[in-house]
Amino acid sequence: MNDPTARSGAQIVLDVLLEEGVDLVFGYPGGAIMPLYDALVGSRVRHVLVRHEQAAAFAAGGFARSSGRVGVCVATSGPGATNLVTGIVDAYMDSVPIVALTGQVRTPLMGTDAFQEADIASITHAVTKRNICVRSVDELERTLRNAFRLARGPRPGPVLVDLPTDVLKATTIARTPCPAYPTLIDTPDPAAIDEALALLRVAERPVAIVGGGARISGAVEAFRRFCDLLELPHTATINALGCARPGDERFLGMLGMHGWKAANLAVCGADLVIALGMRFDDRVTGRVDRFATRAKVIHADVDSAEFGKVVHADVALRGDLRETLSALVRALETSEPRPAFGAWARTAREMGTALPRDRTPDGTLSATDVIDAYVALAPSGAVVATDVGQHQMWAAQRVRPVDPRDFLTSAGLGAMGFGVPAAIGAQFARPTAAVVAIVGDGGFQMSFGELATIARFALPVKILLIDNRRLGMVRQWQELFYEQRYSATDLSDNPDFVMIARAYGIGAETVDHARDLEDAFARLFADRAPRLLHCACYPHENVWPLIPPGAATSEAMEAVSA
Amino acid sequence: MTRSIVLSDWREIARIVSLTHRFGCALRNVDVREHDARFHTNIELAGTPDALRRLDAQLTKLLHDDKEMFR
Repeated sequence: MNDPTARSGAQIVLDVLLEEGVDLVFGYPGGAIMPLYDALVGSRVRHVLVRHEQAAAFAAGGFARSSGRVGVCVATSGPGATNLVTGIVDAYMDSVPIVALTGQVRTPLMGTDAFQEADIASITHAVTKRNICVRSVDELERTLRNAFRLARGPRPGPVLVDLPTDVLKATTIARTPCPAYPTLIDTPDPAAIDEALALLRVAERPVAIVGGGARISGAVEAFRRFCDLLELPHTATINALGCARPGDERFLGMLGMHGWKAANLAVCGADLVIALGMRFDDRVTGRVDRFATRAKVIHADVDSAEFGKVVHADVALRGDLRETLSALVRALETSEPRPAFGAWARTAREMGTALPRDRTPDGTLSATDVIDAYVALAPSGAVVATDVGQHQMWAAQRVRPVDPRDFLTSAGLGAMGFGVPAAIGAQFARPTAAVVAIVGDGGFQMSFGELATIARFALPVKILLIDNRRLGMVRQWQELFYEQRYSATDLSDNPDFVMIARAYGIGAETVDHARDLEDAFARLFADRAPRLLHCACYPHENVWPLIPPGAATSEAMEAVSA
Repeated sequence: MTRSIVLSDWREIARIVSLTHRFGCALRNVDVREHDARFHTNIELAGTPDALRRLDAQLTKLLHDDKEMFR
């Protein structure tokens, strides 16, 4: 490197990261990516060493979900790259902006089945917005910049950049001119706004369904204002919990398979559904041909591929959701007379005001009691990252985040093992926030190696472990839909989770009775140290309500013993 | 359904093929010509009207991202 202006590929990667506002990456080193790790020494880019590459991808996702910034994960070629894949798919399903940087064998070796060679570009082709293998150091800077722009939106998602070792080592004096492309904000068609307003004016029982698009576009305040203006009953998908104004009586709770009864029944009975940045997931609609059959549908989304994908849209509002809602609000503010649906909102609310639950035997700890106690005793504004399963649904039903960036969950993919690494990512993104991972015993055992990451960086992540010694959601379905033939769901030989946490230097305790919850939560939140609260729960408690597979959302099952 | 598209990254043809399979449609013909480092592609697809409509929407999105990645 005789020319002092020459830079290696690895140095270009770090320069672009910093210029894109990235000073933190999650990763795990290996052979092919070593030039990048060498350049990290002394760099302003901070590297968080996780204990499995999957955790790097989930942590990058948790970072992005909780902050709105692009999360970056790094892995080597072959197994390092393939271990990222689940986290990449998770980001793709939930529209989370991450950039994955993977090492690759030297370009002359590509295609020879070289050691640790995997065709990660082909493997991830269907689950990234775009991926590219950079073959020349001169292409690197432009490729990386385009990768970040594409990851950010308009609909965010994962982009993978594959980096052969020789490209990382090669030097260049080239500076790729990178024009600052303006960020284009898609605004809705005014004619479509008028059509939506016309439907609102004749509606009698409208319900708004807000989805993850509100979090992505920063539309929370506009959404709240929209609901206020119309006194509109509203519900949320799991990715949009926290969009409703805290305490708003018109919020009917989460919608869908384990949603609140009022939310599901109100949507079923609505004559107008206003779908805002949501994609009519099957867990939301239930049997789709019986979903809101009497309703006209206004569908607002930045991605036109969502219109008519599952549910026909009578009015499609394509554009950035904040812009769309702001346009609707502006029109409504000057509208006389303005429709108002306060009476209908009260009726909808009364369709179901309590969550049904199983009665658990005396002397046992109920998981729902644990979550209820958490809701009562946790610090206001805490960020919750859940894993996947029963605890996820109990948390989604009960926790009341004040902002959608405060509730992180693998919603579309439903990836177990998400909770702990996502909490790590969130804690780095928001270092002063209280961050709580609510996990089950199954998912925790897919990720507890990350206790080492928590300990190394002294992250004040709190872990609430709901241990029912079962793969509870699968067990529940086996009980209800497979004639109680329990197959591979028994985890009664679980390890001692308290000892495991302590082995990593993390304080932990077990609680097995409701009377001890208050003191245990007080200790959990007493300081800014990581801590695990292991809750030994009754193993046969189910999540209610439950819309059975193939049923309409009006056909929820409720607890027999409620 | 026949679409005439221009791609910067010819690998996206493979993605279109995969999407076609995923949406339960069928590939009838693909014709690609390179011109000025762009790949002019005619692709003929068959399937139910609903599946083709959803596939078409995905192709539009794919073309947008292809353009963005190679600006």
